[in-house]
Amino acid sequence: MGSVLEAEGLLVGYAGAPVCGEVSATVAAGEILGIVGVNGAGKSTVARTIAGRQAPLDGDVKVHGLLIDPDAVPFRRQVSAVFDDDLFFPSLTVREHLLLVARGHSVADPEGRVEEELDFFGLLGRADAIPDALSSGQRRRLLLAAGLIRPSSLLILDEPEQRLDPIMRVALGVRIAEHARNGGAVVLVTHDPELLLATATSCLVIDHEVRELEPVQGASIIAGS
Amino acid sequence: MLTLDDSTPDRHLAAEIVRFTRSTTRRHKRSRVSLSERFVDAYSWGLGIAVSLTIAASFVLALRNEIADRSSAGTGIIGAQWLILPEPVLWTSVTYAFLLVVSNLARKLGPVTVGGPESIWWLTLPIDRRPMVLPPFLRKAALTGTGLTLLYLPFSMVTAVNRTAPEHLLASVTFGAAGVIAVTLAAFQQLGLLGPRIGRVVTMTALLACAVLPTASSSPWPAALAFVAAVVLLVLAGPRTGEVRSEELIRGGAVAGHAGASLFMMDSNEVLRALGGGRKTVDGGRAAGFFARPAGGPLRALIRADVVAFLRLNPPLMPSVLWLVACVAMPLVEGGLPEFAQLGIIVIAGCATASGMGGVARKAALVPELEALLPLHPALVRSSRALMPCLAMAVWMAALSGLLVLLGASDPALIAVGALAGIGMGAGTLRSATKAAPDWSAPPVDTPFGPVPRAQLGSLMRGLDVTILAMVPVMVGLYLGYTPLTVVVVQALFSAGIVLLSVLSKPKKA
Repeated sequence: MGSVLEAEGLLVGYAGAPVCGEVSATVAAGEILGIVGVNGAGKSTVARTIAGRQAPLDGDVKVHGLLIDPDAVPFRRQVSAVFDDDLFFPSLTVREHLLLVARGHSVADPEGRVEEELDFFGLLGRADAIPDALSSGQRRRLLLAAGLIRPSSLLILDEPEQRLDPIMRVALGVRIAEHARNGGAVVLVTHDPELLLATATSCLVIDHEVRELEPVQGASIIAGS
Repeated sequence: MLTLDDSTPDRHLAAEIVRFTRSTTRRHKRSRVSLSERFVDAYSWGLGIAVSLTIAASFVLALRNEIADRSSAGTGIIGAQWLILPEPVLWTSVTYAFLLVVSNLARKLGPVTVGGPESIWWLTLPIDRRPMVLPPFLRKAALTGTGLTLLYLPFSMVTAVNRTAPEHLLASVTFGAAGVIAVTLAAFQQLGLLGPRIGRVVTMTALLACAVLPTASSSPWPAALAFVAAVVLLVLAGPRTGEVRSEELIRGGAVAGHAGASLFMMDSNEVLRALGGGRKTVDGGRAAGFFARPAGGPLRALIRADVVAFLRLNPPLMPSVLWLVACVAMPLVEGGLPEFAQLGIIVIAGCATASGMGGVARKAALVPELEALLPLHPALVRSSRALMPCLAMAVWMAALSGLLVLLGASDPALIAVGALAGIGMGAGTLRSATKAAPDWSAPPVDTPFGPVPRAQLGSLMRGLDVTILAMVPVMVGLYLGYTPLTVVVVQALFSAGIVLLSVLSKPKKA
């Protein structure tokens, strides 16, 4: 399968100062690239740069052979990114948030898809609640549901396991793997060795020098062994 | 496998998404607020606005009558004017300066923006963004135009007493249209149609022409010209608002949201922080040599750090110079404002300039724990922090007093009085920086004049109170036209007292 994401000599950071070494990676359709590292290593910054949320200091990132541009409609159509953005429309319910995304991406039978996602993420009972009435874990589930309800060929997840219970973490791992099996590529930033082992096909360890390792080695780095 | 389809996004779908969000939000809000509550809200707002307008109108009419009745010479702070500035030049300059402020604010606040939730839930959708950003942009342009039209009306009545009522109206409409032009030119810069430097030049040139137009209000053509120009620019910018980059949309929305929330809470420090967010970055290299020199003791090291921080935060130089020019130009006008109005404007200019000098103190006040780590008495820390604002304000006030003395407002001793006043005003910025946000839950206090929100007023006025107090003796000197020794002594006592009060009083806690 062709490569979905190509990063070549990518340098990320703030105010001109890089936070980690150069990143070079390729993710093909059906592959899951795990990104691991200690706190402050720059994992999320790499993910944010790949998602087009901040400009790279140097190097190129291409999605489907085109340089990333978060304002281009094809990019928005192809790339789904879930970060820890705790921002919601205060007056829209959980169901309405998901319906907004489904309709915006022209999903067939949006109402039906919304019910499926609500069921998967255990939000059916809270479907008519506004975000302020949700727990932080439920808000996290809503964000993940919004990232997965829409079609995408590149899924970027920044520590999706945060604030999720163990059962949901396992279910999420299955869902990520399913996304890859259906032809999607995934970039997964995680601190969870089990999630990494359950999903990743390759692994980048972010530090002053970025190394590409087997997921098993990446998992032992996270576990501190 | 998904296709890399770059077909034209569906505008109807985008409009539908916006409609869906807005209608759901409206429905939710309606369900939370009863009809009686809405009536009470509308009544309170209406009453408040009516009372404010009545007070403002009576003040404007009184000032207008005062200007119309008095003799043209010898009523300002400069008794015998040897340099006279034509009145239209001053008022056109003021109009121009105000339009530049509008343009600057429009650029800082967007003008094409999205809020926090929109940036996450709307901008990531593969649809045309125009229906998302165009209506709020048009609303902002219309509100700016209407607001400026209403604002210019009293200004026109006070500064051009000979105009007829329709002429006042035409001048106001012209100014309102000029405001829309300023906002639209800011949108052009956001779109990248005008680069930063070219954009500034074009905006300054266009607004200069706009500032002159209200003076020709005897004819309807200037108003028509400004109105048509505003509409043409809106028609050019409007259809392209969907092309503003997401980074710009989010930046403007963040600044506008922060500034709006700070205004709502009436926290002037936060408003300044919000609007200063887009300023040029801190100069990390400035005065590095001075900072690197060995310091003898913690106090000297702290003073050095505060001096360097003040220089690196780029205190606003241009507004300070503009306020200085305005204060000097105003009394030069033949048949200008009455003496008390001139003194009032100098006080406003002093407070505005002083507020710009408190950047380091405001930033330091955000993390009081850092100061607690220093092996120094807190009063010494606050003295160090007040040093540069005091010095800067002493220079500014000395320059202002010197120029006024040169024009014949008073004798040279006023320069010393001005410099002393500047020291007190600088200390006021420290007091202002450490004020707590008003506690709106505190009940008002009953007084013979009715309930007064004393705690909230005290919090809002902290800092400003002593800045104004520091200017009282120098204003008396200007009013008298000479500087008796008493004024010098009182000014020295006032400034010393204010400095002591500012450095010895503990910061207010929220």
